[in-house]
Amino acid sequence: MQYWLRRWLFTTNHKDVGLLYFFTSLYFGIVGAILALLMRTQLSIPNNALLSAIYYNQAVTMHGLIMVFWFLSPLGIAFANYFVPLQIGASDLAFPRLNAMSYWLFLSGGLLAVISFFVPGGSANAGWTTYQPLATTTFEPGVGPTLVYLGLVLLAASVTLGSVNILVSIAWLRRAGMTLSKLPMFTWFILFTIIAMLFAFPTLIAAFVLASTDRILGTVFFSTTSIQPSILWDNLFWFFGHPEVYIVLLPSFGIIANILPVFTGRPLAAKNAILVATALIVVPLSFGVWMHHMFLTGIPVSLQGAFSIATIAISIPFDVITLSFVESLIRGRVRFVTPMLFALGGVVLFIIGGIMGVFLSSPVLDRVLRGSYFVVSHFHYVMVGAAIFGIFAGIYYWLPRMTGRMYNERLGKIHFVISFVGFNILYFPMSFLFDMPRRVFTYQNIGNWAMLNGLASVGAFVFAGAQIILAANLLHTWFRGPIAPANPWASEDLEWTSSVPHITPAAEMDVSPPPGGWIGQLVGPPLAAYPALAAHSAISGTPSHSLDAAEAHAGHLSTRPIELSVGAMVFLFGAAFYPAMLSYAAMGIGGIIVVYTLIGWARDDLAEKFVVPSEPEGDRWPFSAVPKLKLGMWVFLSSEVVLFGSFLGAYIFIRAASPAWPTGIHDIPLGTLNTLVLVSSGFTMVMGLQAIRAGNQSGLLKWLAGTFVLGAIFMGVKVSEWINLGASGLTLSAAVPGWSLAASAYYVIVGLHGAHVTAGLLMMIYLMKKTSSGAYTRDSHEAIENFGLYWAFVDIVWCFVFPLFYLL
Amino acid sequence: MRNSVVVVVWAYMIAAVLTEVESFYTIANVTVLDSVVSLLAASQAVAIVLFFMHLKDEPGSIRLFALIPIMFLSALFIAMLASLG
Repeated sequence: MQYWLRRWLFTTNHKDVGLLYFFTSLYFGIVGAILALLMRTQLSIPNNALLSAIYYNQAVTMHGLIMVFWFLSPLGIAFANYFVPLQIGASDLAFPRLNAMSYWLFLSGGLLAVISFFVPGGSANAGWTTYQPLATTTFEPGVGPTLVYLGLVLLAASVTLGSVNILVSIAWLRRAGMTLSKLPMFTWFILFTIIAMLFAFPTLIAAFVLASTDRILGTVFFSTTSIQPSILWDNLFWFFGHPEVYIVLLPSFGIIANILPVFTGRPLAAKNAILVATALIVVPLSFGVWMHHMFLTGIPVSLQGAFSIATIAISIPFDVITLSFVESLIRGRVRFVTPMLFALGGVVLFIIGGIMGVFLSSPVLDRVLRGSYFVVSHFHYVMVGAAIFGIFAGIYYWLPRMTGRMYNERLGKIHFVISFVGFNILYFPMSFLFDMPRRVFTYQNIGNWAMLNGLASVGAFVFAGAQIILAANLLHTWFRGPIAPANPWASEDLEWTSSVPHITPAAEMDVSPPPGGWIGQLVGPPLAAYPALAAHSAISGTPSHSLDAAEAHAGHLSTRPIELSVGAMVFLFGAAFYPAMLSYAAMGIGGIIVVYTLIGWARDDLAEKFVVPSEPEGDRWPFSAVPKLKLGMWVFLSSEVVLFGSFLGAYIFIRAASPAWPTGIHDIPLGTLNTLVLVSSGFTMVMGLQAIRAGNQSGLLKWLAGTFVLGAIFMGVKVSEWINLGASGLTLSAAVPGWSLAASAYYVIVGLHGAHVTAGLLMMIYLMKKTSSGAYTRDSHEAIENFGLYWAFVDIVWCFVFPLFYLL
Repeated sequence: MRNSVVVVVWAYMIAAVLTEVESFYTIANVTVLDSVVSLLAASQAVAIVLFFMHLKDEPGSIRLFALIPIMFLSALFIAMLASLG
């Protein structure tokens, strides 16, 4: 295989993965924009028949989903991938293969979503919020929506892995002297974003797993009418959905906060106040305002009041941030270059959108405005305007670092002016459409509706057209841009000033950028062509993660991330078609690829084929005493707490709402015995750890084997219970009131726990193999300790599942 | 951590599970049963986190991190049930 192809398919390098995220997000952005233009064309005149209702609904649904999940969020992650390691002085992220897998899962999820347009019945059409039961097969039939929802599950899994990786990297890979107080603002805001992602996305996984099992397996979480399924969905979706607003917004604010000091020539005003406000109010409170999206659902007035106050409160830290930005501008000597113009534009658009949001925090006004275009205007000003203008600022700001070349300033400014004008022509008229329902595919000419909609549609084409200028500027920079100085903005941040080899700019290295710029190293063996870089890499003595260091890079490639992601995608593609024949074939192929990859991954590790370069000890406070992998495991498990908590929360909701619930269906003595077996496996696991801490390898092997046997017994009993329960009538299609719902909850939630136990058993086989080869010693047994954490967590989950399902 | 501590924690886990089941058979009042069983389940979780996951030996930053999802989930549970009216 050609080197360039191997590199882009198998890379684990943070810059490469960052670029992959960047260009893939742009691709999805184009798809989302085309859908938006279709919608705006349809709405440009009254009574338009360009799109039928169903096509319009598909366009609006997929526009929202693609833009939020596959364009706006990942663009921030693209920059995080590329620049966080550079800003903290690390040579890569903490877990490079995990990083690559995050990207491929993201792409796989997106492909599933896009493929949905080409299956019979078309794509999802119930709106991007996929409100239930509107999005059940009764009202939204077909395979297409299922593909989209499974794509979202893959995306959420990708985000969780990525969050763990970036968080551990920021905590653990900062170079010496990079204390938290010196952390650049972009990295700080990425940290805040990651924390929000870590705890928000598991709820999205839970929501879409429940929705998907309804569509595929026939569970009845949202199709039953007895438990207010719409309220259940709203809670799960918006508990994720509101933090998502900040997940989209914060990277952009990070970019703006990062570049304001550069272009105003003075330190950011009230920097610490911004950090404190964001850390202590924005992130926690973002999980405490979701019910303002539910004011119209009939929730108690007391709840409406509480969430109204919380919603107003969350505007306070944003006031702090905005005022800080404004003060920085007033006191500084502003350089109006393109990145700064976009940063200013982002702040202005955020202020407009934020002011509109304050109105919506009032339950009374919300009742009037919620279903109107006023809301569309508000959230586009915030989520698109502020977010995307900040991202554009980042693109222009860091383009010289990514390409080694300068962009065309005149084109950049034209891009800004047309974008800003186009954006406001598009969305400002919508704020006057507070009397027009927003979920209609066409409309009568009432009042100014036709004029305002026509204006908005013109703005849409102007705004979209402006992005052609961005594309032209990117291409011009890439191929013909003048060589960029080492630090064109005179920034003091590490990504511009460090002499770490992989971030050494072209000018500093005394080599010209290669044809096509540094970003354009798509073909050929570049290192040999650039002797200075090769020499530098040799001197440094460490595997370079440079885009240019082909030989060193080759040892950093891994086929496993893409293989695993493709396997998962094929499996889920098949699952969407269940029970058609194609379904079994695709699930079989996907399953085989996943198993093959997992075995290969384990073999790679046993043979130490993939070596993550060791990082010199830097500033790791407040996690100095925690090893990297262990920190990763704790972070991962904390997101798992939210995942299982969401499932169990849904179960408790269902139990509380359900008027009838089957009793006496479980074999309590057998369930008790099985619980004691699992609890005991937790004990044997800890004893294994105690053994290896004492240097007793054979003891470890025996305790691990004991744990494995107990875990296997637990799963065996579980399977027999499932068979017996099915035979006794606890089925998804049971006619007795409450039984089908009880069966849905039991099989899905207990099944998910069983999947975790099974994954643990597979990991134990690997650990036992390594133990038998003497890999673990008294001083080196981190994997055992980390697996012990996982296994104990599985125990904890069962401590709640057993009483909830068997006893209460 | 001494092995004896591990054995004691394990013994507590066994006892707690058996007490849960005993409560199921003996406590007729649903509210009391719910409370007793919930407390026992929570105590088992705490015991596992502190002793089997060694959280008691971890630095404060990890302890704090372990608490964050509990805080968010508490909000979700309370508001979710309250939204039923």
